[in-house]
Amino acid sequence: MHWRQDSHCKRSRCAPIDRVTFFVLASYYSRAMKATGRPGKRKALPNRAALRKASAPGLAEERLLVEQAQAEPARFDALYELHFERVYAFIAGRVPDRATAEDLTSEVFYKALANLKSYEWRGVSFVAWLLRIAANAVIDRARRASREHPMLDDPPDPGVTPDMRTVEHRARLFQLVQRLPETQRRVVEERFVDQRSIREIAERLGKSEGAIKQLQLRALERLREQIGGGHA
Amino acid sequence: MPKRAMKRPLAEQLEEVVQGMLVSLKPRPEAVPHRDLAPLLAVARELRFLPREEFRATLKSDLQRRASMSTNQGVESSAAVAAKAAHYMRPGFTSITPYIIVNGAAQFLEFLKNAFDGVERLRVPAPDGTLMHSEVAIGNGIIEAGDANAQIPPAPTDVHLYVDDADATFDRALVAGASPIYRPTDEHPSGDRWGAVKDPFGNRWYIATPLGWTPGPEGLRTIQPYLHLRAAHNMISFMEAAFGAEAMGVHKSPDGIVRHATMRIGNATLEIDEAHGEYQPKPCVLHVYVPDADAMYAQALRAGATSVEPPADKPYGDRSAGVRDQFGNTWYLNTYLGR
Repeated sequence: MHWRQDSHCKRSRCAPIDRVTFFVLASYYSRAMKATGRPGKRKALPNRAALRKASAPGLAEERLLVEQAQAEPARFDALYELHFERVYAFIAGRVPDRATAEDLTSEVFYKALANLKSYEWRGVSFVAWLLRIAANAVIDRARRASREHPMLDDPPDPGVTPDMRTVEHRARLFQLVQRLPETQRRVVEERFVDQRSIREIAERLGKSEGAIKQLQLRALERLREQIGGGHA
Repeated sequence: MPKRAMKRPLAEQLEEVVQGMLVSLKPRPEAVPHRDLAPLLAVARELRFLPREEFRATLKSDLQRRASMSTNQGVESSAAVAAKAAHYMRPGFTSITPYIIVNGAAQFLEFLKNAFDGVERLRVPAPDGTLMHSEVAIGNGIIEAGDANAQIPPAPTDVHLYVDDADATFDRALVAGASPIYRPTDEHPSGDRWGAVKDPFGNRWYIATPLGWTPGPEGLRTIQPYLHLRAAHNMISFMEAAFGAEAMGVHKSPDGIVRHATMRIGNATLEIDEAHGEYQPKPCVLHVYVPDADAMYAQALRAGATSVEPPADKPYGDRSAGVRDQFGNTWYLNTYLGR
């Protein structure tokens, strides 16, 4: 066997999230609400509104960015800057590890760039298209993973209603981290991204462990204050 | 703020829970949780997903590089590429054709015809009776073959063959002289029904049919070279930079080893994975049709390939250039000159 040495691969099982995720994303596109009686159905309307609000700049400006990128691929990075956090936020909660999240995020933007000319503006944010690509990528990866690691549990359920507000909230948090005071930001990144211990961070920054814990606290308090209420 | 005896400082409480969260352990419950703890933990939970800044920056420059390549040479969607294919590709060829050098090319052609229903298109003998060049059409692709000699060493190649019935093709291959590696099985990680044989000339054939496949006019690419490589992930970036290739499905293990990847150039694909077990590298020869052999040659050299042969018009009607990659594979970059 090629892809695994210790092969006892079983037949793939279709992940139960597939239909649900596709349905929810379909609701972003379809003008007619499907009457399914699901509790999430109503959320489709506010989500379209959320999608319209999602981008700052506004939709008109975003449309211009898209057209510019379509004419000149080198200008795609404006769209990348605009939506990187959203795409990553969407994917990160749905895959088991950081490497996969980075892998799939890359895949989404490669595909978007490669197929940019075939994108048609539909009056909603460009991010909707990106998230559709992302959802497909997540499902495809879950299928492959369940083939290669048949003994593992089903891929983590992304949640029955992965709505734009969660993605927005998380993406906004990522952006706010970038705006923290330098030392706070560094503590957050070393703790949560690099997963270093308080002791290690203290050594690296030349501070006491107590000081690092205070910095961690202040960073989270500041983020909490800036992000306001919302999802948790 | 007056401290109560039982209540630990918020910074301590917070760190205890964050630590538990990061190492996936349940921390002991706090005796007197600070009332601000819960909302801060809500933030902490989201921060676990915080992206690496380095990743964000690397991906951005990656995309900028792709975008500028696309501006320079008009990389388009597969459909647009397919539509234009006729102009620069020799009729009958796809974008990627393996050129298999063996000892006993004439017998190899017989094997291809018998095992895979190959149809001989062309054979060019050398004065000493060996085969200088030959072409066999299999499905919607072509295998090129030639005899090894003092100047040209054998270059056996592993090929992934999509067929309508993997079992039938597998059996025919055995009758034609191949030896079995494993019979077609539904349990292959690709999701295909997939078996493997080795032919008497040193090539491996991965014979596959997608599960639930119904043969039809819109078939899959019959022929895909399959390269087992050391540090295979470097091939992805190399092919992207050198040929404007598109990575169409990269599956990596958690530590970044390429378990499988499909790379598209034009209207054809090849597959790569990290060499393992008995599947070790086999430097091979690949014949790629490109819109502009000169430009692609220059681009490949910029991407780190070494020159094998600068672009030149060939008597057989292509303009051709040759480069070698860091894995030892030789790429002939051809543009068809005929109309």
